[in-house]
Parts: sequence; C-alpha cells; structure tokens
Amino acid sequence: MSAFIDARTVPDGTVLEPDLAIVGGGPAGISIALALANTPLRVVLLESGGMSFDPATQALYNGAKSGVKYLGLEASRMRFLGGSTNIWGGWSRPMDKIDFEERSWMPHSGWPFGLDALAPHYARAQTLCEAGPWLYDKAEHWSQSEMPTVPLGAGGVATRWFQFSKMRGSLLPTHFGERYADDLKKVRNLTTYLHANVTRLGLAANGGKIEHLDVATLNGHRFSLKPKAVILAAGAVEIARLMLASNDVMSSGVGNANDVVGRYFADHPIPRDIGTVILFDGKLEPYYLTTQTMHGAILRAGLFPSEAYRRNKAMLDSSITIESKTLLDPLGKTTVATTAAALGVDASKAAAFTLGGGCEVTPDPDCRITLDSERDALGVPRIKLQMKLADSDLAHFRATLKELGRQLLASRAGMIRLNMKERGQWLTGLDWGNHHMGTARASNDPKKGVVDANLQVHGVANLFVVGSAVYPTYGAVNPTLSIVAMALRLADHVKGLLK
Amino acid sequence: MKTLFSRRNLLVGVGTAAVVAGVGYEATRVLRKRYAPSPYDDLLAKLDDRDGSAQIGEAVLAEVDDFDAKAVAAQLRAKLVQSSLADLATADAAAERLLEAHGWVLPQSLALLCALAAKAAA
Repeated sequence: MSAFIDARTVPDGTVLEPDLAIVGGGPAGISIALALANTPLRVVLLESGGMSFDPATQALYNGAKSGVKYLGLEASRMRFLGGSTNIWGGWSRPMDKIDFEERSWMPHSGWPFGLDALAPHYARAQTLCEAGPWLYDKAEHWSQSEMPTVPLGAGGVATRWFQFSKMRGSLLPTHFGERYADDLKKVRNLTTYLHANVTRLGLAANGGKIEHLDVATLNGHRFSLKPKAVILAAGAVEIARLMLASNDVMSSGVGNANDVVGRYFADHPIPRDIGTVILFDGKLEPYYLTTQTMHGAILRAGLFPSEAYRRNKAMLDSSITIESKTLLDPLGKTTVATTAAALGVDASKAAAFTLGGGCEVTPDPDCRITLDSERDALGVPRIKLQMKLADSDLAHFRATLKELGRQLLASRAGMIRLNMKERGQWLTGLDWGNHHMGTARASNDPKKGVVDANLQVHGVANLFVVGSAVYPTYGAVNPTLSIVAMALRLADHVKGLLK
Repeated sequence: MKTLFSRRNLLVGVGTAAVVAGVGYEATRVLRKRYAPSPYDDLLAKLDDRDGSAQIGEAVLAEVDDFDAKAVAAQLRAKLVQSSLADLATADAAAERLLEAHGWVLPQSLALLCALAAKAAA
C-alpha cells in the first residue's frame, strides 16, 4: 500500500513523467484511477485539496456572478478528495435514451454517442456509488399490490424511482474520497498527490498536444508533469477555467479555437413549492415523501415525464417530487370539495401535499464562464459566470405539472394546483441542483463542441475531459451516476489507447 | 302482561315525529339560501356549493377572454343531456379540456359551470 503524497513536500522543479495524469479527485477521477488499477499504465491523480475541507483551498473556487441569482461558486462544490460527493445528496438515476438524441424542439441538442455507450458501465457505476441493486427498470413494473403508486390516468407522467447512495450504517451517501482512499492507496500503478493544483495546461507549440502540466501548492511549491495523456476531471467550472486560462500558446485557450469552452453552462433549477397535489382519498405511500429501504436498496418515488410524452409533446425533461403534507386556504378547500363532488368522488379524507422538483434547461451559449481580471492565490485568473434561465424552460416544467394534474383528474384520484406562473414567482426562493454542466460539451463537430465522442478535446491529441462538463444537454436527473459511468467508459478507451 | 308501547302512546309518538319532521323540512326550506333567478339555474343545480363555485368561477373568468355566458350555458346543457357532470368532467380531463382558476387545474365543464355561477351571483 502506498500512502498519498502531499504535494507541498515535492521539491520545486520536480518533473513527473506518468503515462496518464488525472486532474481532479472527484467521483470521475477516482473512478478512472480505480478502473486503471493493475494495468501497465503509470497513473498520477492530482487533487487540489487534502482529505478534508480547507478554507484556503476552497477559496480558490471564488468567482464573480451576474444574471439570474445563482449559488455561491465557492459553496456549491467541494475542493478536497472526493470532490462534490462530499456534499452530494446521493440521488441516483440513469439518463434516458431520449436525453442523448438530437431533438428538433431543443436547440443545440444531440450527443455524439447514445445511451448504449454508457449502458455497459452503469452497473459498475451503481456499485461505486453504492446505490444498491439496479432496480430502476424493474421498479417501473412493480404491481399496484406490491408497491402501490399514485393512480394516474393515461398520459405523460408516471411514477419512476430514485435510488440512493449509502456509504455505511447511517452515513448517507458515499463520499468517494473517504470511501475509496484505501482502495486508491492499494493501486500499485497509481500515485495520488494531494494539495496539488494544476495551474496551466502546457500546449505544444503547434497546439496539437499537451506537453506538460504546471502544478502549484498553496505553500509555494511548483513542479510539473510530462504525461503521455491527460484527463481533466475537475468539474465543469474548473475545467473551463483551466482550459481558458492556459492561453500562452493559443490566445483563446486550450481546445477553444471555436470559442465553445465555457459556454452552455447549465444547472438544474430547483424551484420550491411549485404546486400542491391533492389526493382525494388521502392515501400516499411513504416512499413518495422520504427515502425508504426496500428490496435491498434505498428508494424514493418521483413523478417523471415519459420519453413518449417528451417526444410527442416536444417537452423538456423534469422530475417532480412530493415533499410534505400541507394545509389549504378556504378557497383551496372549496375548490377541492367542488371538484371532487363534480367528479362524484368522496373527498372527506382528502390530503394536500407540496410539490418540488427540478427541470431540464435548454442549452444556451450565452450562459457562460469567462475569465476575470482577478487572480486567485496561485495566480490563476478567477472566473465570471453569466447565469441565465429561460422563461420557456420554466413553461415546459409547468406544462408537465399540468399534465400530472390532468391525469389525476382523469383517474378521479386527485387534482393539482400550480403555484408558479410569472417569472418572479419561479425565481423567488429558486434553488439549484449544484449540477454544473456543459462547459466542455461533446459534439463530433469541433465548431459545436469541445470534445468528441471519445471525450478527446478536438485538435488536442492527448487531452480528455470527463464529467458533466461534457454534457451537451442535461436531462433532469442527478448527474453523479452517469458521470461515473462515463468515467469508466473513458477509462476503457484510454486503456486501449495507451497500452 | 302489560306491553311496553300502548296503542295510544304509539300513535302520539308517530304523530310527534311527523310534526318534528315537517317542521324541520319547512325550516330547512325557509332557511336555505335563496338566489335571484338566473338563466342558468338548471345548470347551477348540479353544483353542490353554489357560493363556493361562484368564487372559483371568478378566477376562471379572469383566465377566459370573451366569456359568452349564453353560449357556454347552451353548450353545457347539450353535453349534460348526454352524460352526468362526473362523466363529463372526467372526459374533459381525458381529452385535455382544462381551465385554471387560481392555479387549480379544473375540468373545463366544471370550470365553466363555476364561471356561470359567478355570472349569476354578479
């Protein structure tokens, strides 16, 4: 077993020459490092932080924001081993086939690979996320007697299931750094450097490959790597920052000949109290409201638009969760009683619940990260984020909520109140998923994307990007499980490439 | 053996009960809220709570442009000849015929009935 190396003890001027350098020790970087264990490849994993939170390291994330109110850039990620799994919620669910498709109603959509490319890696990703047996598909076919679901008339919304990561005992969810530290130390062909900040991607003079990486520590040490290949796995904001800031050879930065790096930044809007659902019989299974341990997994039911609905109605994706019991105002009570009576249903035991959820957004090239004139403690330019949120995206979410209400009425099981209409209502108390996506999007066309189907940066032979930075479109499910699956796919590719 | 109820007591009891029931019925009739006659009373009779429905209807009217009460009433009458309100409301939902009132998603026929109740109450 080899201990992690504290980069603050590496002598200045040291040059490391691994086969592969992985920049970022979050779920993607750790998954790749583990997947490449016991291969002939000499791998170095570079993590900016240590084994726990450090304010000075975390402050390297600070940046400026404008546009729609957004989370603090230093608060929505974690800069120590394990990355943002140190603060994730454990929500896991694979993406759908339609998420990868080019859709006429969604500008800039279409991945250079499909679900079939990730599917072989999801099982291992599920294991690494410790999200239990793969029940997502099976769960949708559980009988009403086995797992009763909210009765809905035919339509576009159906109950589907989240699974949750569980680390051990009552510790939810899996923190990749803490959980896999010992496993990483056992990998003989891997050296992990903590407190190692990559400050520059050193392009060859012709811009065609990465020749070296500059590394700095907060105590002033500087050294470099000359790897055969590099994988950027540092999160969508830092990846864009590093590529843009490495502009000494190409003035636009690395892989940015077509001005795509940093554009199309996205997150999942999480508006609160978006609606009120009424169930006339008052009955709701507990797994709609909170996680429940069942079938050997931790599960929670949500309400999702089906692929057919999204296709037929030209809708964006969303996920709806039932949050908590609530009370109605007098007009609400009257409306429920009047509606139930009109439908010929007894509503004397009706119960009301608040709704939450998140939605997909349309890729927007002007929602972007650029470099600021300010620099961090290591001399790297800080970022500026221009955040946007389109009314039309919120309208899609509202339409899907209305579809849910329609299906409840059609089944005479309940009804819905939509709490959001005007933009100001949506933005009041708006939260975000902390799912940074899109800044190094994948496309086979270098003019439309930063990386190709193999996640190789266009025009830079030995540079790869992994994580939700490469998402051209974003779906509505939490990205960690798919990030890990994508990382495992890239590990396979790199293994073949460098052998 | 003496019976529990004599014939006389039984007649007095039945008579008293009849009087109480009659008074109760008349009191309910007298105390029941009366509405000014409207052209839609036949339709509004299908609503359990006409005042509450009128409140909902105000919100529906705020969402509907150029509400033509006579035309709406005629359409509803035609539909309600063929089916019950429950079936019509359910069919509305199935066919995506919906209207909103204060964000509440309602079957169109119910929402329009409520709008008529609001018109009648105006």
